[in-house]
Amino acid sequence: MSKILVCYKWVLDEQDIRVNAADASLDSSRAKYKISDYDKNAIEEAVLLQEGQGATVDAVTFGGDAVKQSLKDLLSRGPDKVFYIADPSADKADGYVTAGVIAAAARKTGPYDLIICGEGSADSYNQQVAPRLAANLGLPSITYVQSLKLEGGRVVATRKLGDCTEVVTVEGPAVVSVVPEINKPRIPSLKQVLAAAKKPAEEIKIADLGLSPKQLTAKTVSLTVKGFVMNRKNILFKEPAQADNVAKLVAALAKEGVC
Amino acid sequence: MSADEKFDAIIIGAGPAGAACAYVLAREGKSVLMVERGVTAGSKNVTGGRLYTYAMEMVEPGLYKRAPLQRKVVREQIMMLGTKSAVTVDYADFEFGEDVPQSYTVLRAPFDEWFAAEAEAKGAMVATGILVDELLEENGKIVGIKAGEDEMYADVVIAADGVNSLIGQKTGLRSDITPHLVGVGVKEIIELPDDVIAARFNLSGDEGAARLALGCTEGTSGGMFFYTNKGSVSLGIVFNPEQAAKRGKKIQEILQDLKMHPAIAPLIEGGTTAEYGAHLVPEVGLSGMPKKLYRDGLVMVGDAAGFGINTGVIIRGIDLAIVSGLAAANAVIEADGAAAVGPLYEKQLEKLSLMPSMRLFAGWHNILEMPRMFSEYPALANDAMRFMFTVDGKVPARMDKAMLQIVRRHVTFGQLLADGWRGYRAL
Repeated sequence: MSKILVCYKWVLDEQDIRVNAADASLDSSRAKYKISDYDKNAIEEAVLLQEGQGATVDAVTFGGDAVKQSLKDLLSRGPDKVFYIADPSADKADGYVTAGVIAAAARKTGPYDLIICGEGSADSYNQQVAPRLAANLGLPSITYVQSLKLEGGRVVATRKLGDCTEVVTVEGPAVVSVVPEINKPRIPSLKQVLAAAKKPAEEIKIADLGLSPKQLTAKTVSLTVKGFVMNRKNILFKEPAQADNVAKLVAALAKEGVC
Repeated sequence: MSADEKFDAIIIGAGPAGAACAYVLAREGKSVLMVERGVTAGSKNVTGGRLYTYAMEMVEPGLYKRAPLQRKVVREQIMMLGTKSAVTVDYADFEFGEDVPQSYTVLRAPFDEWFAAEAEAKGAMVATGILVDELLEENGKIVGIKAGEDEMYADVVIAADGVNSLIGQKTGLRSDITPHLVGVGVKEIIELPDDVIAARFNLSGDEGAARLALGCTEGTSGGMFFYTNKGSVSLGIVFNPEQAAKRGKKIQEILQDLKMHPAIAPLIEGGTTAEYGAHLVPEVGLSGMPKKLYRDGLVMVGDAAGFGINTGVIIRGIDLAIVSGLAAANAVIEADGAAAVGPLYEKQLEKLSLMPSMRLFAGWHNILEMPRMFSEYPALANDAMRFMFTVDGKVPARMDKAMLQIVRRHVTFGQLLADGWRGYRAL
């Protein structure tokens, strides 16, 4: 039976983050957490494979202490077991550190036939972790996956590339990152929520992963995070003939370099 | 049915009534499932209100100290608004803030989430994001719930699903909600720095003020409430939807006019509205309650059962909900067999003073439903004040004559007598 690992991130719900009007700073004091939206697709895909052809699904996450709140939600979505690495250092981690931590954890808890990630996280959307994880584990990486099949030991994936698609076949194991089109994550049912309470959740201490201080130091340092405030141009086209308005609009957009 | 699918009790709704019930049952070793349709407990709640601490003390002494409460209320204020005037009574009682403070202002979203988590920590199963579609019935007895495709069984189902209890309707214990039974509450949470709140409401430290006002709904029966929280104030109106609809006034307009009132505006000046919401409030007390609060295998608690007391100067709901949840839990614990739960629940409601309180205040909504309470009398109070405090260099009218004139301007003596009689009978 295949063994699948799905990675997810516990992020602040962007709907709850408010932009301070005075200096565009962010106020996340009232923000709740959620499973990153794209990772919900990754989880759903792993569970669909589990249901479709029989597989065990482990989940793994790396985050601050708040990550413990995610376990029940995660397990109610179908995975059999979750490993979590809760460490305050996660707040400063970039894709390099996160991929390193998850790779080290996967070596401990694996091996896996397939590792599934969301294409990017709902907060920073850097799209770094999946390819880095693949490189770290010496596995093939398939990104932008919009449909996925496991055929024996082979992974068959359809990639969404701009205006075309590409079908890729690799000998597993492999790391794939999925786009939202791949499925519609389910809303956990009552029985799934209740079953989640009985499933195992295991903490892995970051100190037990054998990573060097260098491997735990982010290469990307974020200096500031600010809200984006769009200043509208407030241009009104009020020609009597609608065709003139359209012409003016197109000209104005062209001038701005947007068409 | 496996042992996994059968609980001692299933509670529908993770508000204060449900959480109190789940907390006590789990603490006493019962297997409890609490199902909440919101993504988290409290996420569907917009109530800004107050919690009378005694109810939490009944559940467990000292429990309130762990709760995310706002400010302990030491200032009880009543306001009667005129068009450009206001009579405010400010009763400061610092004993209300001593030892176990009498009451706290509370924001339900964090409070409900906390209370559900406490119940979970005691061993209750809490399932959020789940809507209960149906009740399972066997031989006239409620035996469980159905959510989506999933069925769960329990000795007792406890309906704690709020003022518009669908479960109550499904069981036939209560009819669909009618406009005269409820008030529509519209509320905003306005954020202000704590030092500003302290200065504007004359508070220090974690003290709080609770204020009710009349004369602000333009003759529609209803009133305003004002609660000071940490870093915010809750401001809202509760009024009769039937009357408001007849007057053709929009909810937002009534609230907006109120916020612009010269006696209200300075209290919230510079604040930012963080939340806005509307909710139904059980209004009519005892007469709005279902005749029976249980069926074989099911009991109703909190707003679902219609527990609410509005005396015109204080509004109670959360404390009654908690006590009713406790009563249901005690009944389940005491009961020898599911059929005994309902009658024991009614006994508990008596023992815990809940029904006696509801009966005492049974007639009060008759006073509060007098239209004159919301226009003529507040205006009369303001005119009387204006007369007493006006100095314009002319010879004022004689006090007794002037007062008589003011009273006559607003009401006839016949009306005064009628209202007085109605008020006396309501007590």
